[in-house]
Amino acid sequence: MSSKSNSASRSKRSLKSTSSNPSSSSNHSADGKRKKTDQKTLGMAWGANSRPSSRTAFRNSPFTDFGSYMAVKNQKLHEQFDAAASSSSHSGSSSGNIFYGVSIFVDGYTVPSSQELRGYMLKYGGRFENYFSRHRVTHIICSNLPDSKIKNLRAFSGGLPVVKPAWLLDSVAANKLLSWTPYQLDQLAAENCNQAKLSAFFTLQNNDAPEIANNSVDDCDNQLLIKKDEGRVSLEQTERCNREQIDHLQLKTDRVMSEEPSCSVESSCEVKGLEQSDCSPLDRKNSDLENKSSPCKASVSHCSNSPHNQNSCEASSSRICLPTNQRHSTLSDPNFVENYFKSSRLHFIGTWRNRYRKRFPSLSNGITSGVSGLYTAGSSHKTAVANEKNVVIHIDMDCFFVSVVIRNHPELQGKPVAVCHSDNPRGTAEISSANYPAREYGVRAGMFVKDAKSRCPQLVIVPYDFGAYEMVADQFYDILHNHCNKVQAVSCDEAFLDVSESEMGDHELLASIIRKEILNTTGCTASAGIAENMLMARLATKTAKPDGQFYIPTGKVDDYLYTLPVKALPGIGHVLEEKLKNKQIRTCGQLRSITKESLQKDFGMKTGEMLWNYSRGIDNRLVGVIQESKSIGAEVNWGVRFNNANDAQHFLKNLCKEVALRLQGCGVQGRAFTLKIKKKKSDAGEPVKYMGCGDCENLSHTITIPMATDDVGVLQRLATQLFGHFHIDVGDIRGVGLQVSKLEGADDSKCGNKRNSILPWVSSTSVKDKNQNQISDLPKLGESDAWRPSSGVLRQPSSGIKESSTETRAGLSSSETGTHNSSVLPPLQDLDVAVIESLPPEVVSEINEMYGGKLLGFISASKSKIIDINTHAASTKSCEDSGVAVEGTGSLSGAHLVESNMVATDKVMKWDKEEDPNYAAPATLSRRHIMPSSLSQVDSSVFRELPEELRKDIIEHLAHHEGPEYVKGAFSDVSDKQTEVEASDLSGLWIGNPPKWVKKFQISNCGLLTIFAEVYQSGSGSCLSSLLQCLMSRILTGGGADGFGNAVSWLHELFKQYIDLKITTDVEEIYVCICLLRRLTGRSEYLLQVYNAIIPHLQASMGENYGGTLCIPSL
Amino acid sequence: MERKDNQTPQGEIARILVEFLEVAITSVVFLKGVYPNGAFERRRYMNLVVHKARHPQLYEYIHVAVNGLLAFLTKDLIDRVAVVFLDDGGLPIERFVFKLNVNQSYSSKVQQADLEFSLRSFLIKLPLSEPLTKILPPTDCRWEIMAYFRALPQASTSKDAEMWIPSDAKQWQQPAVITPIKSMSSEPLRVQVYAEDPNPSAPKN
Repeated sequence: MSSKSNSASRSKRSLKSTSSNPSSSSNHSADGKRKKTDQKTLGMAWGANSRPSSRTAFRNSPFTDFGSYMAVKNQKLHEQFDAAASSSSHSGSSSGNIFYGVSIFVDGYTVPSSQELRGYMLKYGGRFENYFSRHRVTHIICSNLPDSKIKNLRAFSGGLPVVKPAWLLDSVAANKLLSWTPYQLDQLAAENCNQAKLSAFFTLQNNDAPEIANNSVDDCDNQLLIKKDEGRVSLEQTERCNREQIDHLQLKTDRVMSEEPSCSVESSCEVKGLEQSDCSPLDRKNSDLENKSSPCKASVSHCSNSPHNQNSCEASSSRICLPTNQRHSTLSDPNFVENYFKSSRLHFIGTWRNRYRKRFPSLSNGITSGVSGLYTAGSSHKTAVANEKNVVIHIDMDCFFVSVVIRNHPELQGKPVAVCHSDNPRGTAEISSANYPAREYGVRAGMFVKDAKSRCPQLVIVPYDFGAYEMVADQFYDILHNHCNKVQAVSCDEAFLDVSESEMGDHELLASIIRKEILNTTGCTASAGIAENMLMARLATKTAKPDGQFYIPTGKVDDYLYTLPVKALPGIGHVLEEKLKNKQIRTCGQLRSITKESLQKDFGMKTGEMLWNYSRGIDNRLVGVIQESKSIGAEVNWGVRFNNANDAQHFLKNLCKEVALRLQGCGVQGRAFTLKIKKKKSDAGEPVKYMGCGDCENLSHTITIPMATDDVGVLQRLATQLFGHFHIDVGDIRGVGLQVSKLEGADDSKCGNKRNSILPWVSSTSVKDKNQNQISDLPKLGESDAWRPSSGVLRQPSSGIKESSTETRAGLSSSETGTHNSSVLPPLQDLDVAVIESLPPEVVSEINEMYGGKLLGFISASKSKIIDINTHAASTKSCEDSGVAVEGTGSLSGAHLVESNMVATDKVMKWDKEEDPNYAAPATLSRRHIMPSSLSQVDSSVFRELPEELRKDIIEHLAHHEGPEYVKGAFSDVSDKQTEVEASDLSGLWIGNPPKWVKKFQISNCGLLTIFAEVYQSGSGSCLSSLLQCLMSRILTGGGADGFGNAVSWLHELFKQYIDLKITTDVEEIYVCICLLRRLTGRSEYLLQVYNAIIPHLQASMGENYGGTLCIPSL
Repeated sequence: MERKDNQTPQGEIARILVEFLEVAITSVVFLKGVYPNGAFERRRYMNLVVHKARHPQLYEYIHVAVNGLLAFLTKDLIDRVAVVFLDDGGLPIERFVFKLNVNQSYSSKVQQADLEFSLRSFLIKLPLSEPLTKILPPTDCRWEIMAYFRALPQASTSKDAEMWIPSDAKQWQQPAVITPIKSMSSEPLRVQVYAEDPNPSAPKN
């Protein structure tokens, strides 16, 4: 303590005590004196301490005690459940209210999991409680409980039933609420030891079984559980089941080798009728399965039979074999998507139309080469068959897919033949088409091969031959177009011809000629129906088939329809048929007895009218052009199995490629992208159809982008993004589809882009834009009204700067602006400030960027209402106004004026960099009020130099412009005054509440300053950091009548005073402010300037107060 | 004497401040990882988890050092208190500065709860702030508590004060880079914590 002589006002002292020298203490510890701590003890100490602390923490929380917290939490959970229930009931199609009034509480581990059970409750109108409550819960669900827990449960359950999850599952399966008594846990407890062994047995199985069979094993497990619940299960049974299981597995692996993918693709370009007829049997099957209580039952029974089948069918396998080297799931085949579509019939049909349109581009315009000479000759013998009436011929190839293939196989003629991917006799591949001999055996399209074979053992299965189909379809249409100029293609093998105007009167003859020609050319037969409209022609074809033609004259329509079953009418499917059947309506004749009104009441406006019309043979559709497809996409729901996210991504990538190809093939681009996912229902097992999708939930997400695209990269990005929205386990995905809608023709969309886009405009400028994406967003903006006013400002280069400048300058002489035309951007001063102001801020900032940031400055400059006009500028402008005179006279002063104007405008550009007061004046030239507001602002010396007439003109103009608000009064220099006023105004900005600056900024005309004031008033709090924080979320517009420099200096002052205010007490606040300001600099030119100006001041005061510099972290 | 001090608002504040400093300094030392974590035990202070040195010498040092400031704090003689981490050469590696300011003219009764609430925010912020969570390199490093006086104490007002000796710690050649950690202003007390790091551009030594 001897050194007290030190006279310095601040001294540093550090504590030294013999016992506790810091260095010695740390050395001690380094010497190993530190004790090893026992984590356990610490943990316990912590636990003991934390409890009271957390309890007292409630004091500050909104909840008074644990009870009220739980009440709120429960309420929230209920709300969430309700929300989820309402949303799921929207999406779910056929979910009923089986569990209405049932509220379950799931205790412990259950199969299925509590989340799945919750899903059921959601879907079927029940409730799910996360926390047990005797008042809200009606049933307790659990699978397995220890004895102690069962006792405990009874103690507090208050007699509530304790039920196994199977109760819920069975209820769902039975679609009604079953009695819970057989599912009581008591029973389970009685069987407890038996069951434990079984489940252990099965889990072992699961582990060993190959992955592909996992689902079916689970199913079997489920089934066993169900059986067990019925009290019938025995160990022997399980063993048997296990054996079946193994058989099943073997079978599966067999099938992997032998089966071909079948068609289940759905393309948006598809022809509806065909799709319906093809898919409906499958749909029906699916719905049947849904109704069955457990789909696995079917599969199990099937397995047990199959070994026999295998033997018996081996013999009958057909001669035509398929290449079986293709791999069948997304798991094993990296090019799955490609191969899938290669072998998809529906894909063929779907994409056929594009080929057709390319082939016959003119047909949609109704122009054809005309009817061939041969038939014009025959026109002389016109019959009276409907000369003024419409006549439509419907031509349909007979079992196209089969006949095309077998036309080169004479040995197959007359034998039952069907087309299918796979000829595996046990297979679940679907027959896509069967010839008439096969149909006699009851073989139908959509049937599984194994079913077809059981009906017709000698059935020959042939594979697709897409090349031949294509060729035949082309020949078919060639013939049709030769005979008729109005052809409406329905599908590759089906078309309508409007022959009303045909020179050849005898339509039946025409039809037979066409049919004969088709047979001769393609080797396949076609049937034709002739009637007055498309509906009747189509019905007639049905009668005509196979290989025939049928004519329904107008007079016979009623008779024909009278006995026709309603099912035969197009547009009447199973559902509608069923409904009609309930009303005892089976034929069109019966349908006719019902009034249109009641039909519309029962079936809806459109369907009702359709039924009414069709039952009377009325069809107003015209044979015409193909409708534009509304969407294009690709969907795969066969063979989709993913192991991990990478598989899924890979698959998506390929799907996108496919879709992009289709888009490009159709020459369209789309804006809306929908990703559809088929998700295996949680209770669904492995589908009956091999590698099929089974019982699935359909999920979809759509994204719409502003600019149409067909780019693979964009598609992939969007698809990935969409896929991310689903948050589902990739293992549950059974189908993926990508659909593109809001289509635009690629050509016109390109033109459209050109029209709306700022892009070409930008590309021609030397200014580089940083963000291509931002610009590509602009076309969207372009469609909005806000963009329209800009047409005056941002004229396209093609329309000429000159023109635009003339317009925006509103009658001003544009002679001198011509010098600016060298740059493609319209000169800054040619922009109409009023128009720019009304643009959306994003567009303004965009344009600003192109002008290298000068626009904002310009806008604020031109918006200035303080018109302190420099002599040169003032007189120039006034002369300009009467520009004709100036140029006309060509006087010295005129030339001088023009020149000075140039100087002035150049200075506008430079101004924000050079803060020379001399330049400040021209910069604030008002573009809105080009005339000086009063004669007082015109330099008299210049004015005197002007010719007499000119002076007169100016005075006249001034008189017009002179409004009270513009009168400044005196000759004194307004700008000088202004700065003086500002200087005094800028002190003590942070004094008062609200601080002085708020008011000041509010009345200022600078957009940015007003935003500051606004944010403050909207309750950002008194500190600057929170204000800046609020600004982060705002759009910062610059612009305003006050000069750029004005705003910057005000803001600078604001920050400077704030720093001075806070530097001694709250360096943290300053730090936060500076960090925020720094982040904001990227968004506002003003704030960048402010930031740059404030940093030296800040560091200086930091050094003064803390002896160091503030650390400013890099962004 | 002490009794009387404690009755004035300033005395009351000083007492709270000393307590706070003890906890905060321990936290800083703990967070910088100078000692193994086991050298500290968890305690509750102002409803927060804090750490207390288990080693008696370490605890003693911190406790005695900050309590020695009590008298000076009451008179508002202390400008700041720094926790300085030094390398083996005695050159500071990093400094954590508690800048203190007690309003001497404040006369009404201190709301201890309010004050504690404000000080709590420090203890919450400390474990989260970036400069503190950076663990020092595991070289042989030392640390000490250093107090900056506004003026030299006139005479030894208490025995505690005599334990403070002038520091001979080396200084950085360049002004430090300051990273604010937390500032608080709750009448009549103002406290700021910031980290000082050597200017990276400055030459070592």
